[in-house]
Amino acid sequence: MEAIASLTIAVLVACGVYLVLRARTFPVVLGLSLLSYAVNLFLFFTGRLVTGAPPLAGGSAPTADPIPQALVLTAIVIGFGMTAFVMILALRARGELGNDHVDGRGGKS
Amino acid sequence: MNHWIMAPLLVPLLAGVLNLLLVSRGPGLQRTISLVATIVMTAVAIHLMGMAAEDEIVIYQLGNWAAPFGIVLVLDRLSALLLLLTAIVGLFSLIYAANGDDRRGRDFHVLFQLQLLGINGAFLTGDLFNLFVFFEILLIASYGLALHGFGTKRTRASLHYVVLNLIGSSLFLIAVGTLYAVTGTLNMADLALKVAASAPEQTTLLRVSALLLLVVFGLKAALLPLHLWLPALYGNAIAPVAALFAIMTKVGVYAILRTYTLIFPADGAAPDVAGDWLLPLALLTLAVGAVGVLGSQRLRELIAYMVVVSVGTLLAGIGQFNVGGITAALYYLPHTTLVTAGLFLLADLIARQRGSVGDHFSLGAPLTQPTMLGVLFFLSAVAAAGMPPLSGFIGKLLLLKSVVPEQAAWLWGIVLTGSLAGLIALSRAGSRIFWKTEGERATAGRASPATIIPTALLLAMSVMMTLFAAPITRYAEATAIQLLSPQQYIGAVLSLEKLP
Amino acid sequence: MNLILIILLPILGALLPPLAIRFGRSASAWTAAAVTIAALMLTLAPLTAVFNHTPVEAYWTWLPQAGLDIQLRMDGLAALFVLLILGIGLLVILYARYYLSESDPMGRFYGMLLLFMGAMLGIALSDHLIQLLIFWELTSLSSFLLISYWHHRTDARRGARMALAITGAGGLAMLAGFLLLGHIVGSYQISVILNAGDLIRAHPLYTPTLLLILAGAFTKSAQFPFHFWLPHAMAAPTPVSAYLHSATMVKAGVFMLARLYPALSGTELWFFVVGGTGLITLLFAAYTALFKHDLKGLLAYSTISHLGLITLLFGIGTPLAAVAGVFHIINHAIFKASLFMAAGIIDHETGTRDMRLINGMWKYLPHTATLAMVAAGSMAGVPLLNGFLSKEMFFAETLYLKELGSFSWLLPAAATLAGVFAVAYSARFIHDVFFNGEPVNLPKYPPHEPPRYMKIPVEILVALCLLVGILPGVTVAPILALAAGSVLNGPVPDYSLAIWHGFNTPFMMSLVALAGGITLYSQRQRLFDLRDRVFPMPDARALFWHAIEWVMEAAHKATALLENGSQQRYAALLLLSAVGAIALPFLSGEAALTGTLPLTPIDGITLLGALVMMMSALTVVLWQRRRLAAVIALSVVGLVVSLSFVRWSAPDLALTQLSVEVVTIVLLLLALFFLPQQGMAESSPLRRGRDLLLALCAGGGVGLITWGMLTRPYETIAGYYMENSLPGGGGANVVNVILVDFRGFDTLGEITVLAIAAIGIYALLDKLHLEMPATDQNGRRWAEERHPVILAQITRFLLPLALLVSVYLFLRGHNAPGGGFIAGLVSAVALILQYMASGIDWMQERWRVQYHPVIASGVLIAASTGAGSWLFDHPYLTTAFGHFHLPLAGEFELATAMLFDLGVYLTVVGVVMLILANLGKLTQRCADNRETV
Repeated sequence: MEAIASLTIAVLVACGVYLVLRARTFPVVLGLSLLSYAVNLFLFFTGRLVTGAPPLAGGSAPTADPIPQALVLTAIVIGFGMTAFVMILALRARGELGNDHVDGRGGKS
Repeated sequence: MNHWIMAPLLVPLLAGVLNLLLVSRGPGLQRTISLVATIVMTAVAIHLMGMAAEDEIVIYQLGNWAAPFGIVLVLDRLSALLLLLTAIVGLFSLIYAANGDDRRGRDFHVLFQLQLLGINGAFLTGDLFNLFVFFEILLIASYGLALHGFGTKRTRASLHYVVLNLIGSSLFLIAVGTLYAVTGTLNMADLALKVAASAPEQTTLLRVSALLLLVVFGLKAALLPLHLWLPALYGNAIAPVAALFAIMTKVGVYAILRTYTLIFPADGAAPDVAGDWLLPLALLTLAVGAVGVLGSQRLRELIAYMVVVSVGTLLAGIGQFNVGGITAALYYLPHTTLVTAGLFLLADLIARQRGSVGDHFSLGAPLTQPTMLGVLFFLSAVAAAGMPPLSGFIGKLLLLKSVVPEQAAWLWGIVLTGSLAGLIALSRAGSRIFWKTEGERATAGRASPATIIPTALLLAMSVMMTLFAAPITRYAEATAIQLLSPQQYIGAVLSLEKLP
Repeated sequence: MNLILIILLPILGALLPPLAIRFGRSASAWTAAAVTIAALMLTLAPLTAVFNHTPVEAYWTWLPQAGLDIQLRMDGLAALFVLLILGIGLLVILYARYYLSESDPMGRFYGMLLLFMGAMLGIALSDHLIQLLIFWELTSLSSFLLISYWHHRTDARRGARMALAITGAGGLAMLAGFLLLGHIVGSYQISVILNAGDLIRAHPLYTPTLLLILAGAFTKSAQFPFHFWLPHAMAAPTPVSAYLHSATMVKAGVFMLARLYPALSGTELWFFVVGGTGLITLLFAAYTALFKHDLKGLLAYSTISHLGLITLLFGIGTPLAAVAGVFHIINHAIFKASLFMAAGIIDHETGTRDMRLINGMWKYLPHTATLAMVAAGSMAGVPLLNGFLSKEMFFAETLYLKELGSFSWLLPAAATLAGVFAVAYSARFIHDVFFNGEPVNLPKYPPHEPPRYMKIPVEILVALCLLVGILPGVTVAPILALAAGSVLNGPVPDYSLAIWHGFNTPFMMSLVALAGGITLYSQRQRLFDLRDRVFPMPDARALFWHAIEWVMEAAHKATALLENGSQQRYAALLLLSAVGAIALPFLSGEAALTGTLPLTPIDGITLLGALVMMMSALTVVLWQRRRLAAVIALSVVGLVVSLSFVRWSAPDLALTQLSVEVVTIVLLLLALFFLPQQGMAESSPLRRGRDLLLALCAGGGVGLITWGMLTRPYETIAGYYMENSLPGGGGANVVNVILVDFRGFDTLGEITVLAIAAIGIYALLDKLHLEMPATDQNGRRWAEERHPVILAQITRFLLPLALLVSVYLFLRGHNAPGGGFIAGLVSAVALILQYMASGIDWMQERWRVQYHPVIASGVLIAASTGAGSWLFDHPYLTTAFGHFHLPLAGEFELATAMLFDLGVYLTVVGVVMLILANLGKLTQRCADNRETV
């Protein structure tokens, strides 16, 4: 399972990175979202792979590590804020620069 | 229980939220709130510096949970110094902005205060993930401020800045995650212990996180090759924002200084950064920045590259990880921050009086107040270029003396050549702007005292830093010693019990 | 104490003349003079002491960490310079009063002049290397300001910048040299260093030290090849040229040679570098001076040549040569200052400095002419004038030199030749200007004698030329002996200052020089032609400016090349650095990557999920240009992510991820509405290949880290949370307790981020105008029916239900998956649905909520909840909790943490609504625009 987890993250990161390097704003935003998915998963996995033991106090059985989960929650929320911001910024950029190129190159579109 | 440490965080938070409630009411009341908040912040910062100067490291256990379980705020000499610096730069930029720049968008004062919150938090927190959170606060606020006023150039520069920093945030999380995956903790002091005690088979992952953190902090600090976003952003943001941003790169510098003295020291498990990478990269940054200074064709652009140079100079001092080097850096840091902030404001005053030419080095009309602005420019140029007798020279002198001459060739060569480049570029700039003029004076009115005073005061700081060089250097030296013996920090953080 | 006052008086006094100018020009001049005289008075006490062979010292500590102290010392050499600086300074001030025209800002002039005076005195009196350097650079700065005094003139601006660049560079080199010197000796105190000569000369760092310091000295004293800035500094007003650029500042370089003579001299290197430079400069400059038509140009090159002479004397290295060097410093200062002043008068009265126009001034300015001719005679080395004496000593010294072996004749020959040139250009100065027929169309005609007081300084200096020349014993001898003594830092050899030593070789050389000079001058016309034909000199100035411009241009190009404003490059560099950071340890590390943890078995469903996730991620990439489809694929990824949270026991995350997912997708779809539906292929195959490689490396890298960590066991502090969650935090859902209690501060920051993001987005959408496409990418018009009735009905029915659910989620959050954040998102989604289904207008009628205050109050509640604990003198965010019963819902806990969570809830609702509602409004606005169009 570890192998699959690693592979998944690898694929997500690769796709994200490739998209982030595109020349138009929208793919870049998609790439950033993919990256944040990957990072959230990664952060989550720092607690290792634990099956069927959600971190609820009181039980005696060992449970999943709650810390990474808490961190991921924060990361998801912040990630949402950032994605929203950059998405709208992309709109604004199109308004100001006349097109959706990341450097405002090229004519209207 | 000393709650003062919370003030640098709660005051701007409160002010920001209040301003948010008043956002629809226009700037009037918001200005008052912002100014009061920032003045209070300055006063508190002075008080905190007094505490830190007694070499006690003050710990604040948020939620009454002892480290490493809860988040703690740590006030030591370094964080106190930077808090005060932030407050001062913030205050003067704010006064300048209150002359109309804050009207160019309805939420300037909200963002400004929350920006200060983020910066102060980054300096105070003793928890690596919490540092990430505060980085995000100061970043998202800085996005808003950088865009303030909009316009093509501003928007483009900001877009680049935002995208790069979003990638940077992902890298930050990966680094923190890796570190947690190995050590199982997030508190910096605890991390220091765990890393020092880590088994050899963990070194690979530890080194990965150490190097990734350098990339993340290097992006904030504008360390080569991650400095490219800076000139466009600083060169095009509105003046008071650019002035405030003078402190932003220093957040990256702070993080580097903290991380690689505390968690990843040169003699530790992951010595790459402190051992091999920082110094050469710093010198390269300095060199590239100096080239940029020489090649600039606008005053704002020139100053922006001065910022890059200063980052190189700072990290060249820090990169030696000895008392001399860090002392030099810690004297140079406030100097360069205050002077560049002042220069950004001054450049704006100049541009406003040159009509269409603005701050471009091309033939323009004479200024309305050539003497006043000329004197200010001359002084700040002397300070910025590191010419005697102002603080820039003292900082450079300390830096040059911090290396033994036998191995000094590179550092001395690059630092001194950099100074020469600054001298040549600034004399050219001054000559072009103030002397090589034609035609009638621009119709632009005289600058109001309320804009000149903050500018002048920021630049006057350089003179003060020269007069009080001895005490400041003493403080810096003590700080360097404190940083290089992290046991004191670790002990203070981890030994404190929570209240019953 | 006096010593520091001597320096501070002029520096602080520099402020007076600009203030005094409002009381008239004379007032301004008098204040300047008064300051100088006061300084002179102050010198009396120390001077008497020095003349009694007890140097005066004054020490204060300033900045020990930088080895920077205030250390002043007046010995013979310092005393000599102090007298020169103040004495000539006083004369220059008097002279300038009449030289400057009504239109010149005199206050500024005297201010900067005094500033320079103070700095120069600082150089003379410093007993500390670094401190000396500070004053050194100050003289460079003040000379920059003085040269550019008439800054409306291009030559003034450029001359000033050139001087600053050259001397500034020299100063930096010298700083390095001083640091080395201080490192060798272990002290920056000059009087200490002077006694460590042997140690220094033996040290491996001697060579770099010497060369760096010489670089400073030579640039300042305009030695070849750094000489060219000085002639262009002549753009300055003549008093400045007389004061800075002949009498004092340019002497600072040779002063350094004299000052450090005991420490650095006496080696082969010293002899050849210093002597060689001096000799070349002496000859080259003397020769060039011959061809200058500009009066001041001639004097400038003659100055360079005389500085070369002094340098050469110190280079020779014999005690007597050093004495001669000091002597010539005095003499040159005196006669050259007077010559410049005379030249200034002529310029002033005729309006030009071109010697081809100025002729026969004898008729018009007999008085000035007499003075000038005496001074020029001294410059040429005519007997009975001071110049003659030091030149004789110089000739004498060149004769008894052993270092050159069989080439010993070379130096005397060269010296004589230089003498020839000197006589020739002096002759030209005299003959061309005062005789040689009638003036040629002068700008001002006829010229007449200047005001009385303008000549007094010249008369005094010329008188000195004569006095020193005729009665050296009674006039100059004491101070010379004193100064020479401190230069040699030991016994002074006996020498005689008699004006007549009999018909010895030096005298012969003088005669040869005189005769040769006169002949050379008589043949000048041929010489000029010859020079123009055979070797035209390269114009160093042009070269310099080409160099500077080239450097700046190159720097600009290089910068533009690197910082080309392409986000793709910046991002690539960032990611490349990241890849490097990951790769380096993996490549260089010896530790094994795979850890010891046993692998968990693979089950089909998870595998399927993973495959789906990867596939849809790839789909996003492949369909990036069919943007709508890409968004759908992205949402699938998000969905599977939340599933995998469920899979690995993180229900909270799953819920959160799911609700965030919904909002994000809605947002992206709305945004996509305003972007081209179709992307176009941008990048070249090469670029795509590069990105692909980078992407694979990055992915691989992170994958490796994941593998490494998943297979490793680790110690964690999590146990503490499991134990203390219930007793300490009053909640069973540890994740939630961490969020609102253990690490509540993170959450406070997190909602702040959300709030700021919302504000920023609101600003971004403010006044944003985008044209909305009339159709979708396939040319289909949008559906006419904006708000389908059924959807509207259903959502309206769903709203209360959804809100109830969110309340439930909120309340149970502390013990079971849920919490303020998730609840907030659910409510927001429910509200958003209303907007989508029923339209903004419908909502705005029924739902009048400003979202800014909602957000603000949310953050405020969360923040102030934290502050509550202060009442119990507990740290910020300390929580308390108790139980209470709610009908229907059952047993609940009321924890302050829940109040905190309420803040979170409000913030989230406010943020999401602010963003989406305003984005929706944008569609409305654009739609309306379109209809109106």
